Amino acid sequence: MAKRIQVRVNGRPLEAEVPDHWLLLDVLREVWGLTGAKEGCGEGACGACTVHLNGRPVRSCLTLAAWADGGEVTTVEGLGEPGRLHPLQEAFVRSGGFQCGYCTPGMVMAAKALLDDGIPADEAAVREALSGNICRCTGYNKIIDAVLEAIREARA
Amino acid sequence: MNRSLKWIGKRVPFVDGPQKVSGTAVYGSDVARPGMLAGGILRSPHPHARIVRLDVAKALALPGVCAAVTFQDTPGIMSVVMGPPYEDRYPLAKDKVRFIGEEVAGVAAEDEEVLEEALGRIEVEYEPLPAVFDLESAMAEGAPLVHDKPRNVAAHFLRRYGDVEAGLARADHIFTHRYETQAQAHCCMEPHGTVAEWSADGKLDLWTATQASYWIRQDIAHTLDMPEEKVRIREVFVGGGFGARSKVCDDEVICTLLARKAGRPVRIRLSRGEEFSTTSTRHPMIIQITTGVTEAGDLTARRVRILTDNGAYNNVGPSVTAFAGLIAGAHYRVPAVEVEGYTVYTNRQVGGPFRGYGSPQVTFAIESQMDEIAQALGLDPMEIRLRNANRPGDVTACGWAITSCGMEECIREAGRAIGWHRRKDFGLQPDGTYRGIGMATLVHCSGAKIHRVLGGDLSDTRIEVRPDGRVIASNGNNDPGTGSRTFIAQVVAEELGLRPEEVGVRTMDTEETPLDLGTWASRAAFIVGNSVRRAAVQVRERLLAVAASRLEADVQDLRVGEGRVFVAGAPERGISFGEAAAAACEGRGAVLSVESRYDPPCEFPDKETAYGNLAAAYTFAAHAAEVVVDPGTGRVRVERYVAVHDAGVPLNLLSVEGQIEGAVVQGVGWALSEELRYDHGQLTNPSYLEYMVPRASDVPRVDSRLVDVDDPEGPYGAKGVGEPGMVPVAAAIANAVAHATGHRFRVLPIRAEAVWEAANGVRGPGWSGA
Repeated sequence: MAKRIQVRVNGRPLEAEVPDHWLLLDVLREVWGLTGAKEGCGEGACGACTVHLNGRPVRSCLTLAAWADGGEVTTVEGLGEPGRLHPLQEAFVRSGGFQCGYCTPGMVMAAKALLDDGIPADEAAVREALSGNICRCTGYNKIIDAVLEAIREARA
Repeated sequence: MNRSLKWIGKRVPFVDGPQKVSGTAVYGSDVARPGMLAGGILRSPHPHARIVRLDVAKALALPGVCAAVTFQDTPGIMSVVMGPPYEDRYPLAKDKVRFIGEEVAGVAAEDEEVLEEALGRIEVEYEPLPAVFDLESAMAEGAPLVHDKPRNVAAHFLRRYGDVEAGLARADHIFTHRYETQAQAHCCMEPHGTVAEWSADGKLDLWTATQASYWIRQDIAHTLDMPEEKVRIREVFVGGGFGARSKVCDDEVICTLLARKAGRPVRIRLSRGEEFSTTSTRHPMIIQITTGVTEAGDLTARRVRILTDNGAYNNVGPSVTAFAGLIAGAHYRVPAVEVEGYTVYTNRQVGGPFRGYGSPQVTFAIESQMDEIAQALGLDPMEIRLRNANRPGDVTACGWAITSCGMEECIREAGRAIGWHRRKDFGLQPDGTYRGIGMATLVHCSGAKIHRVLGGDLSDTRIEVRPDGRVIASNGNNDPGTGSRTFIAQVVAEELGLRPEEVGVRTMDTEETPLDLGTWASRAAFIVGNSVRRAAVQVRERLLAVAASRLEADVQDLRVGEGRVFVAGAPERGISFGEAAAAACEGRGAVLSVESRYDPPCEFPDKETAYGNLAAAYTFAAHAAEVVVDPGTGRVRVERYVAVHDAGVPLNLLSVEGQIEGAVVQGVGWALSEELRYDHGQLTNPSYLEYMVPRASDVPRVDSRLVDVDDPEGPYGAKGVGEPGMVPVAAAIANAVAHATGHRFRVLPIRAEAVWEAANGVRGPGWSGA
């Protein structure tokens, strides 16, 4: 069964007609051309597909596209402005909080949720909050550096 | 180190960072070509079977299916990988399958759902054959044979460096221990995948996650019996490597075949389940090590026997075993070493290259045993390592000619940083846990001239200066996260007075960028770095020569900076790079182009003995781990970890630290929690939910440090660092656990169950504590 969905994505109204079992991740990538969110595992275990739905971080590989109908989605492409990175993204760049970059969109969106939630700039709390996002390259040091710096900047 | 460098040795943000953090970096899996089909692979459900009948007709009859391929669609040529005599695998099974997951057929369809349906409609009749799943069974008399060869030993060597019998005879003590290490999944965040597209004139374009474009171009062209020039590997971002993609992958060939048959582009993307269960893994090994040592702690001889579980096909197995043997012939100042290596077929998932390439396995054995020796002799584990440390100017037993070497400094610094003197206070703690500190060292190479397939260990760089002044550096190297795009930009920026973000960098495209062998063997910083530097220096010399003539000045009075060549002290007297380039080419619209090659001054090892100086520089490290062991849960928590490396001068400190930190965490996973569990050849945990890679909450902050070593051959003094961080980790942790609890674990991973059982005296007397 196909379903017509209307979603506000990164501030823009988008539409799609997709089979009702399609995942949000697939609609974002295959229909709307927003390939930032990645499929790392397809079962919600790695976090590479993390986007925000109605202000909360979700696994888009476990979210039916139909659930986003009428809602607001923010992907990594929606952070910052054209030609200007969001301060969180700048912190990642300065700290070297990535290597291959494949986990980065999901990691940035997970970190953005911490920023939005006002999580304390405590290393243990940040590590715990990011434990749903796997990175195989960095060993996490510089990701934590980036997020702590971004939190401190946001508080300042 | 030259302290007046502007970009080298600093923390330079990655030049491709903005693309990665904004989600605009295009990976192979993001590429969409017009008319692209969804491709997939039908795989064997049997660990060993004859294919009696294979019929794709019903799949082809399904509306929306555009092509199906089997062995019959190939020229019947095996993949090259290491080259003869090790070739043993067709990209699609010919008449037998030898591991669960082996590729039997490929299908391309309009979408994923039709694809799934079509795969299910392929008719295959198998005749199951007896299979063998472990090393010792595979080597036994009468074992089922994996290949049509008299025995399952795919490769065997016995190599002697010096007189081991004499060495053992003069030892005061001889120790023999057996260690076992397990397979490991690379877990690159981007699964394997390929997009293949043929043009009307028979040219093939591939967008694929690869670490070695020229390598796989050669292999695919060979397997499909077509000229290499018709195969183009395109530049993409690559989501991780670690060795998973440093040789040709079967999905690359199958995707290519499907695209040709369908007449449309095809994309294959492996699921994470396929990634875990069908792609290559680290080779499991059983290592027996006998070491002779004097009362004072000098190593006199070493004899190592390595059994490697190849899996069902060679891939690089024999080479990994050989390299492990060389590490045994190089680690510490041991005058005599004998190594015997068996690479053995089993009906299991194939082993392939994985960070360290046999070294993590054999170093686990060597460095665990060093502590066992130290304990038996009543020596301090740090002191015995200092005593036997490799030194500058040494030639190791296997012929590695060490030039720069900071091993001793690494050991001392690791001891200082972890607080080695605190060891005596550890062991059982008031809260009932056990605390310990352990150390381990490593030796590794910067690049390795071991594969004759592509002519050694070369790197070519082309640098162009365009009339508009833009400088573009091209090198065929691949950056799967190792940071070569950035250090290429840094080197050009350093030599030409630019900022790294101003330098255009092209990589990995076999049509646009010149030959480089790829990212493996920790070669990139050293070999690619040197290649880029040579080209950049030549460009500068050309620009200066042209400017000197134009400005009527002496070359030595000229400087480069901000995209111009100008007279020192009179910067208004100058010309832009664009003007200089145009003048150099005597006309407008021309491009100044310089190509340079670096071929390191080392040698292929001897074919029989593997003796020889296979790299132009070697790297060293010492790691120290502080662990807390909870006897109530069996959990080993790494509380502190110090990694001290001699990697020469770091081209980019951000990148070098990151490589060490990431490698250490991979090592922690291998030591404590990562395990591929098989049941008669079937992987039973093909998921991140059950294959436990370390997460941010599982590991401490890795304290990575560099000792001050300047390599005479490396670019600006740099050496490689991609692999070393992984190598000593398991031993450092096992040594720390032994220090904490008095119990020695010789089998990886050190599972919580095993620790709990040891603590609670389940399979023997409980441990007594340090």
